[in-house]
Amino acid sequence: MPADETAGGAGDEASGDGDADPADESQQAPRGWWRRYVFSTDHKTIAKQFLFLGLGFLAVGGFLAMLIRWQLANPGAPFPLVGKLLYGSSGGVISPAAYTALFTMHGTIMIFFAITPILIGAFGNFCIPLLIGARDMVFPRLNLLSFWSMFLSTAILTASFFVPLGAPQAGWTAYPTLSTAIGTPGLGQTLWTVAIYFNGASSIMGAVNYITTVIRLRAPGMGYFQMPLTVWGFWLTSILNALFVPVLAAGMVLLFFDRVFGTQFFIAGTAIRGGGDPILYQHLFWLFGHPEVYILILPAWGIVSDLLSFFARKPAFGYRVTVWSMIAVVVLSSLVYGHHMFVTGMSPMLGESFMLLTMIISVPAVVLFFNWLGTIWRGAMRTTPPMLFALGLVFTFAIGGLTGLFLADIEADVYLHDTYFVVGHFHLIMAAAVLLAAFAGIHYWFPKMFGRMMNGPLGKLHFWLTILPLNVVFCGQLLIGYAGMQRRLYDPSAYEFLRPLLELNRGISHAAFLLGAAQLIFVVNFFWSLARGRKAEPNPWQVGTLEWTVPSPPPHHNFDRIPIVRQGPHELGNPRVIEALGRDWLAQDEEMP
Amino acid sequence: MSRVAGAGGAETGGGRTAAARDVDATIGMTILLGAWVMLFAALFLAYGVVRVQANEWPPFGAPRLPRGVPALNTLLLIASSLLLRRGLARARGGGASSVATAAAAAALLGAGFLGAQLAVWRVMLARGLFPSSGVYGSVFFALTGFHALHVLGGVVAISVLAVQAARARRRGRAPLRALRLTALYWDFVAIVWVAMYLAVYWL
Repeated sequence: MPADETAGGAGDEASGDGDADPADESQQAPRGWWRRYVFSTDHKTIAKQFLFLGLGFLAVGGFLAMLIRWQLANPGAPFPLVGKLLYGSSGGVISPAAYTALFTMHGTIMIFFAITPILIGAFGNFCIPLLIGARDMVFPRLNLLSFWSMFLSTAILTASFFVPLGAPQAGWTAYPTLSTAIGTPGLGQTLWTVAIYFNGASSIMGAVNYITTVIRLRAPGMGYFQMPLTVWGFWLTSILNALFVPVLAAGMVLLFFDRVFGTQFFIAGTAIRGGGDPILYQHLFWLFGHPEVYILILPAWGIVSDLLSFFARKPAFGYRVTVWSMIAVVVLSSLVYGHHMFVTGMSPMLGESFMLLTMIISVPAVVLFFNWLGTIWRGAMRTTPPMLFALGLVFTFAIGGLTGLFLADIEADVYLHDTYFVVGHFHLIMAAAVLLAAFAGIHYWFPKMFGRMMNGPLGKLHFWLTILPLNVVFCGQLLIGYAGMQRRLYDPSAYEFLRPLLELNRGISHAAFLLGAAQLIFVVNFFWSLARGRKAEPNPWQVGTLEWTVPSPPPHHNFDRIPIVRQGPHELGNPRVIEALGRDWLAQDEEMP
Repeated sequence: MSRVAGAGGAETGGGRTAAARDVDATIGMTILLGAWVMLFAALFLAYGVVRVQANEWPPFGAPRLPRGVPALNTLLLIASSLLLRRGLARARGGGASSVATAAAAAALLGAGFLGAQLAVWRVMLARGLFPSSGVYGSVFFALTGFHALHVLGGVVAISVLAVQAARARRRGRAPLRALRLTALYWDFVAIVWVAMYLAVYWL
């Protein structure tokens, strides 16, 4: 329970040593298999643990999406191959209840158990100390606790598949009254609230660690504005995590109490008796939920802002403006959550305010976008797989962001709310842009993480077979949503006016199956490279940030000597450097010739 | 070009002083408590929302909450917090041996708070107020219960540290950093309680 975590965290950081500081424990590699690979405090090992956990759940969540798309393309037809295995009692047909559980778990897994561990857990852990020139996180044991809290959370969530009455069925947002003990009886939904709680605890512990590490452990000479934009992304994300994940935790606590102890926070009363308020949950959820969108996209923005510069061989255009735009987004993101609730009977004046604030957030977003274009403008582009995926993000983020403006507008939203237009919009951001950033990051840091290169041609094939069907799927969803198809429908053909959309739905599904199959290329590439990939040099991409100044993979203590930072992160294509050194990049710890 | 000074405590050698690590820990704990403030703020928000929507508060026929015992309890928690602070202040001045006694006393007062809170719950249950009897019962049990879990965590942590400090008396190295962090947390728990006492029992 929460109290113990807090106290445990406090005791944990300092258990034992009071004043004297024995030789930094992070400097000696631990002995023994368990300490080294399982209960490790090394940020690089924890990063890999998060990566494998996240990729595993990405596969699970992706498979659930395939099941959903199958039902929408062939309503009521038995799922081929493994259908009988999964849904034996119905002869392989996905039942309405099973379908509801499918989209609930797809959303939950993708947001909390795939994207969060991959982007924030894995890259955050791997990058922050290496990119700022530190030996480890500032609280290595808290870091370990953060991973195992996430692991516990995944175990609880997985268990919810196997309890009586089955997996949770209240959607990934778990709105009451659907998520109350009346709407979704059974242990599954209760386990869901507990799983999300521990997932949040993991995020908060990570955030405490990331924020403090960036404040305290930047190498000498690295001011905030010499940090790579990747670090900025993680840092700002962590601030949002620390502030708003607790609000979700509060919602989960109350939902748990409602389900288990019979409290009535989210159960509407009668006129005489008074009672709780189902809408209250939506306020708590979206107070967290809207910042969450930016929690997930900010690391992606940071990574891509850096990668575009590195592979266009030019300094990032408007570095400071990019940073301030991200900060502006962070501030605004906490003030716009009401746009998820326009149709809840919200006061029109409040609605108008939320609409205005939401529209304003597009200003820093567009500034960021044009800075990306400025960065690659007339650059000497190297279209490596990381660069392709980064460019893919730029593209899908543009479409995804533009469709957000429709949903920010109250009049348009009243029509589009709860349709597939919303599904298409957030998938273009969350599933497309964030996922592409994750792939970019994996291709880019794989050599540093594992000491081997990933296969380039396979990576490019994977990119093209991902970006094309991906846009068909999600832009197709925009279309059917605009045509009026609601999300979460088990069988749209039950409605006369949606019957003509069946062919379009089939097309989307076929593109989705292609998209799913294309990910096998990545799986093959990943594992093949892990075992057989070409050995990586210390600096295969020829860039200057600090992680590339050490061997691949880095030694346990990262840096033999903590570097002294003399350059910004994007010292690329400087004529003076080219003339003096015969290369177009300068490491952050090198003197300007 | 960067001429900006490096972050606190980072040295090229990589080793970090105990003083620097103290600052790290304080910053980390402050951020964690900031997050926890948001958690309790959200709970208070939930209380506020159901409260302003209620026709009357407390609802007609609902038993009244006692105010006397919880008031005493509030004093107990504040006293515990001050005691721990005083012990730590003395330890800084060289009296490291008394910190174990102070921590043990603080833990004892915390346990006393839990006992009294338990008694209040039992009385209210006996008078017919349950978690399931409408929003009034919901608010009372959920808020005080969730807070009590935090007190329990604090009592456990302080007790463990008190034992460690007592053992260290002979070897001379008390877990001062851990105690300082726990004291921060303990202050937080007391402050939240004062707000909760006023909001739940008086408003």
